[in-house]
This record gives sequence, C-alpha cells and structure tokens, in this order.
Amino acid sequence: MYKWYAIKRILKGVAMYALLMFTFSALFNTVSETTLKGQIEEQVRQESQRLRNLKSEQIRAFQIDRRDQLYKLYKLDRPWTERVVSRAVNALTFKFGRSTIIKTQKGEREVIKIIMEAMPRSILLFTTTIVFEIFLGIWLGLKKAQKPGGSLDKSTSFITMVVYGLPSWWLGMMLIMIFVYGIKLFPSGGLHSVPTPGGILKVLDLIWHMILPMLTLLLIGFWSLGFVVRNIVLGVLQEDYIMSARARGIPENKVLFGHTMRTAAPPLITMALLTLLASISGSIIFEGIFSWPGLGNLYWIAIQQNDIPVLLADLAITTGIYQAGLIFLDLTYGFLDPRIKIGGKA
Amino acid sequence: MKLEDAAYRLKEFWGEFRKERNGLVGLGILIAAVLAVLLEPLILPFPEASSRWRDITYWQDNSKSAPPAWTNLFTARKSAVALTLWDSRTEDRGPGEKAYIFSYDYEFSRAPYDLLLRGEGSGTIPLTVTVRRPDSNAVEIIRYVLQDLAGQTFRLSFTNEGKANALEFLRKTERPENAAQIATMSYGVPEILFSRAEPDFVKGPKPLAGRYEIEVTAGFTDPRASIEHMEIVVVGRVSGILGTDSMKRDIFSGVVAGMKWALMIGLLTSIVSVLVGVFYGITAAYFGGRVDSVMMLIFDYFISLPVLPILIVFSAVYKPSIWTIIAALILFFWVGPVKTVRSMALQIKEETYIEAAKALGAGHGRIIFRHMAPLLIPYSFASMALAVPGAIVYESSVSLLGLGDATIVSWGQILHDALGSGAVLSGLWWWVVPPGLLIAVMGMTFAFLGFAMDKILHPKLKTR
Repeated sequence: MYKWYAIKRILKGVAMYALLMFTFSALFNTVSETTLKGQIEEQVRQESQRLRNLKSEQIRAFQIDRRDQLYKLYKLDRPWTERVVSRAVNALTFKFGRSTIIKTQKGEREVIKIIMEAMPRSILLFTTTIVFEIFLGIWLGLKKAQKPGGSLDKSTSFITMVVYGLPSWWLGMMLIMIFVYGIKLFPSGGLHSVPTPGGILKVLDLIWHMILPMLTLLLIGFWSLGFVVRNIVLGVLQEDYIMSARARGIPENKVLFGHTMRTAAPPLITMALLTLLASISGSIIFEGIFSWPGLGNLYWIAIQQNDIPVLLADLAITTGIYQAGLIFLDLTYGFLDPRIKIGGKA
Repeated sequence: MKLEDAAYRLKEFWGEFRKERNGLVGLGILIAAVLAVLLEPLILPFPEASSRWRDITYWQDNSKSAPPAWTNLFTARKSAVALTLWDSRTEDRGPGEKAYIFSYDYEFSRAPYDLLLRGEGSGTIPLTVTVRRPDSNAVEIIRYVLQDLAGQTFRLSFTNEGKANALEFLRKTERPENAAQIATMSYGVPEILFSRAEPDFVKGPKPLAGRYEIEVTAGFTDPRASIEHMEIVVVGRVSGILGTDSMKRDIFSGVVAGMKWALMIGLLTSIVSVLVGVFYGITAAYFGGRVDSVMMLIFDYFISLPVLPILIVFSAVYKPSIWTIIAALILFFWVGPVKTVRSMALQIKEETYIEAAKALGAGHGRIIFRHMAPLLIPYSFASMALAVPGAIVYESSVSLLGLGDATIVSWGQILHDALGSGAVLSGLWWWVVPPGLLIAVMGMTFAFLGFAMDKILHPKLKTR
C-alpha cells in the first residue's frame, strides 16, 4: 500500500533529521556554548547596570546569582551529553534562541524570525528556476534522444561536459561583470531597487532583479538535466513495445510523450530532483554573489558577522529542506512506480 | 589478477579510449596541468609566489591592479609594460666613483606609474641618478645618500625622491603662463621623463619614444661601501601574463601556484573516496543480510547530509587546514559509487566461480579482494574522474567565503580576494576570469575523461 510506504518513508526521514540534529549539536557544541555564555554575560551586565542604588558587593553578588540562574535556565550546568541532547531537541523544535548581531528588517533578534524572513525569498528564486529548468531539460533531453548521435545531441552533450565543473557562482560573477558592469542592463543584486516602486511596478522590479540569477542557474543546470533525460529516455526507446508502437503507425510525438515518458517518468523525476537538490545546496555561494537575501546569503552574513546562532540555525533549516526534498523524491518515485507501492522490488 | 592481465586490459582499454576525441582532449589538458605543476619553479615569474602569497613586502614593487601586458595589442595607446632592468654597464668615473648605466627602450604612449632603484648596499654611499633621454637632454633626477647600510635592501622611488628635479626640468621648457598649473597637474615624474620636453606639457604630454639611459653614479669613498644586485624596476601600467591584483600580486603566479592544490584536492579526494565507496559496496553486497542492512543505514545517513552547508559551517567554526578539508570531503564523497557497485556486486556474488572459491575454502577477504574487487575497480575509474570537479568546486566555494586554509594559495582564495576588493563591479576581469576559468577547465577535463571512460565501460550508453 502506498499509504504505508509513504508513512514509513516520512518517519524514516524524520528520524534521519533528528539524528542529523544530534550530530550537529555534538559537533558544534563548544562554539555554541561559548556564544551562549557570551550572550549571558552581556545580559547580566545590562541588568546590573540598571541597579543604581546598590553597593558594589551587592551588585557582584547579584551578578553571580543571575549568572547561575541563567546557566541553569540554559542547562549549562548539566553534563555534556545532556547539554547536547537538549540543544538538539531545541533545534528540532525550532527554538534557536537569539542572534548576536543580525536582525530582521523589523529589528527582531529571534533567529527563527530571521530565518523565516529569508526562506520565502530563496524558495521564490529556486522554485521559479526549477520549473523553467525541468521544462527546458526534459524538452532538450527528448530532442537529444530522438536523434542520438545527431548534431544537436553531440553539441549539447559537449556543452554538458564543458559546464560540468563550472561553478555557478563564478558564472554569476561573469554575468554580473558583463550585464551590470559592461552593458548596464540588470541590477547588480538584491531583491528590489531602492527606493522600491509600488504596485505592479514592484513585481516587475522583482522580476528584473531575478532574471540574472535565474539565467545563471539555467545556463548551468539545464544541459546536464537534458543529458540525464536523454540517457534514461534512450534506454526506454530501445524497448520492443516502442518499436511495435512505431510500427503500428502511432505518431512520433505520441510515442515520445505517451509511451516513453510514462515508463521513463520515475527515474527521470528522481534524477531531475536529485540534480536540483544538489543545485540548491550549492546555492549558498550563489545567493551571496547576487546578494539575493535568502538562506544562502544568510550564511555569508552570519560568517562575516560571526553570528553563530544564526549560522547553526541556518544549517539546521537547510538540512531540513534538503531532507524534505529527499522524502518528496522517494514519495514521487513510489507514486509513479507501482512496483514500489505494493512492496515489490524495484 | 596478474600483471600481464592488467597490462592486457589496459591495452584493450587504450584501444577504445583512443577513439574518444573528447577523452583525448581531457587527457591532453590533464598532462599539461601535471607538467605545469612539476615545472612550476621554471614557469613562475615570482618563484616564491606559493609560499609568500600573503607577504605584502614580497609584492611591493609591482604595479597595482594592472591589466595583462598583452592588452596593449588591443589598444591604440600602448601602456608601459612592467619590467625589471638588471643588466647594467659599469664605468669608472674618477677616484672612488662608479657609474652603472641601464638602458631602457621606451616605445609606449602611457608612461609607467613609477620607476624604482633597488639594490643591496653596505656603508655610506652618495647616489646620483641621471636619465639621458633620446632627445639628448639629461635630467639629474635623484641625489641621495645611503646612510650606514649593512647589506640591507634599499629602494628609491623616482616619484618620491625626484619630484622636485623633474618639475625643475619641466619648467625650463614650459610657457611661463602655464607655470601655475605645473604644481596642480596630474602628471607625475614618469610622464615628465618619458614625454617630449616642449611647451604646453601641462595640457597633455606627448610621449617621447626611443632609448633611454639611466645612469646611477655611486661614490665609494667609505671603505665599507659596496653595492650589489642593483636593478631598476619599471612599475608598468600593464604587467605580466595575467596582470596584477589590487594587492600588487602577480595573478599568473597565483593561478599557477593554485594548480597543484586543485589537482591535489581533486585527485586525493576522488581516489580515496571512490575506493572506500567501492569496497563498502562490495562488502555490503557480499555479506548481505543484517550486515547489509546496517551498512545501508549508515549509507543513508551520509547520503542525507547536505555537503556544502555542513562544510561551510564546519570551516567557519573550526578553521581547518587543507588536509582537514580534504578529509571532510572524503567523508561526504565516498557514498557516490556505493549504490551502483553494490548492485553489480550482488550479481557477481551469485556467479559460480565465487561459489567455487568458497568451496575451495577461500576466506572472505580473499574473495572480496581477489575475486570481486578486480572486476569492479575498473568501473570506478569513471566515477573517480567525475568526482574530481565536485571536490575542486567545493574547496573553492569554501575558500570563496574566506574560510580556506590561509597557508596555501587556491583559486577560490584568489576569487575571494577579488570579490572582497570589488573586482567584479569595477571590471578587473583579469582578476576574476582566470581562476574561475581554470576551475571550469579542470572540471571539463575530468568530465571529458570520466564520460569517455563511462562510455567504454558501460557500453549501454553508446548511441544505438
């Protein structure tokens, strides 16, 4: 049953995510505790400044008291294992605490709000790109598979190899140099112009800012996607039933989209999504180049400002999105490939 | 597998590989890259570029943000090329006085930024520098006394030391009504020295091409006095094969020095991780059952790690050395071939000769290493080649954020400096293009190799 398969897969994904959070918590325990202690010191100092009419000994006593209190609150007095576990649980329940420097546009310091402000922007950029990329990639792959060894197939396969190790962020830098510095056609980065226009112009302004990053991702991504699609479709096209469909006189387009695509769909979707997941993980650098204020750019800012809570929370959320992508991938695959639904072997 | 077998298979493989044009191109570039790494000391214009990349004093006599020298081919007004004149003719000038004469052919329209006199001296030495121009004017530009040196390097800048003398020379020919502008004009000592001495200089100097002789006269009355390695550095407007960055570093040297690290990171990561992955896959398939389940669970854990975010946060927190970064990359990369190898090993496991080996009492290790691995290792060569670009790009990405190992020069670090200095938006393309292009070319090279090998080893992908 697909339902059981889905539940099993989701549970496994959640368990994996929890395990990853424990790993991160253990790996980055020292640095996050140092930061936390620094924040506590800051808080204690601020609070003791408010106490005007006390003697210095009393203030000192208050400080020690308050520090102990806060240490207890954040479980810093507990043994190592317990601290790691509690921090992992905090991460799992999205309690990331407060940032040290970075603020949201409204000036809030809660890490989760900072993340939530950045996330929709990343999603906007990447989903739009993904949609374009999938359509272009499948179209190119089918065209390539129709005439394997033809000039289109050869030339695009060559481009696939040429761009294989091309870092998307470097291509972004080049495009910025050409289209922003050379021909002044696009803005150098960011989400909106300053000052931001209102109404419909605001949307147009956003699209204008999105074109260059999208172009960069597409120029890198869709060749390789086309190559993958070609290889999968080519495998299917060699099957006997395709030959018989062609022999029966079914139009080529129907053979391609009706007969071939149905069989090729599960591996195709898997490969497409895997490629895209990889590109999202690589987008950290990419967003920074275009100063697109999403989750990737947040890494840059957090590293520059040495804001550890934001950095770790960003890592947790990115991992979560990646995990969700993997689950989604398996669920789609299972949905499209009936052998998996009934528990047979793929 | 015997050595002859291996040789035979290699020969067979080469016979197929020769037909892959892209593969051969890849192999050619790879060999060129390896040669560049091996011959690095001979290629580098600045031999210590690799070890003193971040040492400002090593680069201080270069031009700042100068484009490559060959850009002169595309411009109407040629710029002076950066150059060091070390050949000098010595003449004796009376008791205790010696002249070192450097000749410099100036064929450009835009004068260099500056000229520097450099050398190592001892004792107290009075120096006079005179420039003899093609128009037979002689300008005494610098008078300086080196005080009590003990073998240190001295550097005299024509702009700093010779400003007054150069302006004096200019005033002789300039119209009196332009005299006020001389003090405020934007032309410096090099422009005065390398331009025609005629009225209206301040409105735009005209270059004076020809052979210049720079005569350095030194007095050796002090018994300790001696000068060695005297040379004149022309701080050109264009410099070297790939220009210089805003820290005056020679980009060609940096890029060549980064080559060995890119190859090292790529090859080490891919070879180790693919081998680990192959043996992991074989082991899981061979033992099967509970061992397989546990091993696949571990595999699932590693495959669900998002590489770059973890690598970046790890580098930001622990500031690792390049070796730690390579180790971390291996930790992420070994999962690559596991799935394919496992499924292939599952088939091989059922072959009769494995059964025969078992019946003959062969141990697990022997079966895995002698009977299964030799069949599967060749398949992993393609994965090895295809894993290289990924490793290089990941290291560059980490370095681009400024989190790389600061004791080495890598392409990502050069790009980090470029990005930090705003090279992208100020159009210093010679700083941004070469490192990235090389990352891309390295990626392409290994993609060519990998895809070619893949095609030979998995014939199914061939065109129908």
